Amino acid sequence: MEELKCYMPKTLKEALEIKAKVDVIPLAGGSDLMVSHKRTMGLTPVFEKPVMIIRNLPELKRIYRNDKGECCIGAGCTSEEIAENTLCPWHLRQAASRMGAIGLRNSATIAGNIANASPKGDTPGPLYLLDARVKLSSVRGDREELVSDFIVKFRQIDLQPDELITEIIVPYSEDDFDYIFWHKVGTRKANAISKITVSQAIKFNKDDTVADYRVSATATGAKTNRSRDVENIIIGKKITPELTEQVIEAFDKVISPRAMPEFRREATRRMIRRFLSESAKRPKGKVIDTYEGYSVTGAPTPRS
Amino acid sequence: METRICFRLNGKGVALTTDPLRRLIDVLREDFDCKGVKEGCSEGECGACSVLFNGKMVTSCIIPIGAADGQEIMTIEGVSATEKGKIIVDAFADGGAVQCGYCIPGMVIAAYYLLSNNPDPTDDEIRLGISGNICRCTGYDLIVESIHLAAKRGGAIWKS
Repeated sequence: MEELKCYMPKTLKEALEIKAKVDVIPLAGGSDLMVSHKRTMGLTPVFEKPVMIIRNLPELKRIYRNDKGECCIGAGCTSEEIAENTLCPWHLRQAASRMGAIGLRNSATIAGNIANASPKGDTPGPLYLLDARVKLSSVRGDREELVSDFIVKFRQIDLQPDELITEIIVPYSEDDFDYIFWHKVGTRKANAISKITVSQAIKFNKDDTVADYRVSATATGAKTNRSRDVENIIIGKKITPELTEQVIEAFDKVISPRAMPEFRREATRRMIRRFLSESAKRPKGKVIDTYEGYSVTGAPTPRS
Repeated sequence: METRICFRLNGKGVALTTDPLRRLIDVLREDFDCKGVKEGCSEGECGACSVLFNGKMVTSCIIPIGAADGQEIMTIEGVSATEKGKIIVDAFADGGAVQCGYCIPGMVIAAYYLLSNNPDPTDDEIRLGISGNICRCTGYDLIVESIHLAAKRGGAIWKS
């Protein structure tokens, strides 16, 4: 078999010039690509196309606020770098800090998690919730697209052959909401792939009507789910149990979990119900979470 | 396609000409005889192949050697030769943390990474710190205790 070239650019400019000429697979952390292309112990992974290693490009490592106050995260930032940086929104930090093993989190990048376009990816949930955009760069220039549009469907992204994801821009943060929620159900606390993860946020008007409500769920269909139509059911109104059930039923129609659908549907219902009913009580803390004894999964709760 | 790759390994500059897509773990074990880097899951989840990459703990089975070009790698061979590393290795031996030993190089790297960032961790923080390292023998308790021991014995060294 003919050996394919491997490119190792030192700057973003160089990387974009390569991308413009050659159909390469960009490889940063390697946590998805090195695993999906691995052979067996001691053997070098085999790729179907030439690879371009971009792990250490300094231009992709920055986290900063732009002049609009939006959080801009370099495509090459790792999960640990995001989890540790308080400039990054809370939901995203939660997801980043519970993604795989520590050693993997020091390699895995946010752009890789998006480009992998897995419905079980950890970061798309918060990114959908907060209307995040990807910045796509090429020698032709830059363009931006909502993450929720960029991920077209299972394992498919809207990336032109000469483009590279260079930045993720998140316009909202926990500061824009009164109450926030993020819960990942995994088979264990660490190293777990998401069984289901629900992210939520709500803001109230002075008269107790809902100014903004958002909910996204991962691992509940071919891609991460969010629907503004469902959220609009409760926006502008006061939270009531009846309205909460309407939101739950409408969101249930949006999601399409394949494996263990009853479990995933019930867990999603419970998390929405809990978040809306708790935030309606207007507690002091900002984070609404599951408490001990409350089951999001439908498992029997231990007696107190 | 072979490329010349230069990096720092355990404090010394090294170079080799090889396929940049070879896995870091293979290069460390085969070309530099760092046999303390163990292969477990081959998917970056078990922590047996942990090394420090520019000071950060990573799993070397998912990193192509090309990504290490110009960077700094520390393996268990380098870490256990440092004062901090010796404290951990001795604490593991004295605390009875080792049974079959396969996960231990990775555990020592994880303990080193943890204590270097958090010199006086709680039980929970230690368990979080080694959550990416799987051990099938010990049940972890003696490893956790040994890391406490290393924190105590090292004292101010961990803050330097």
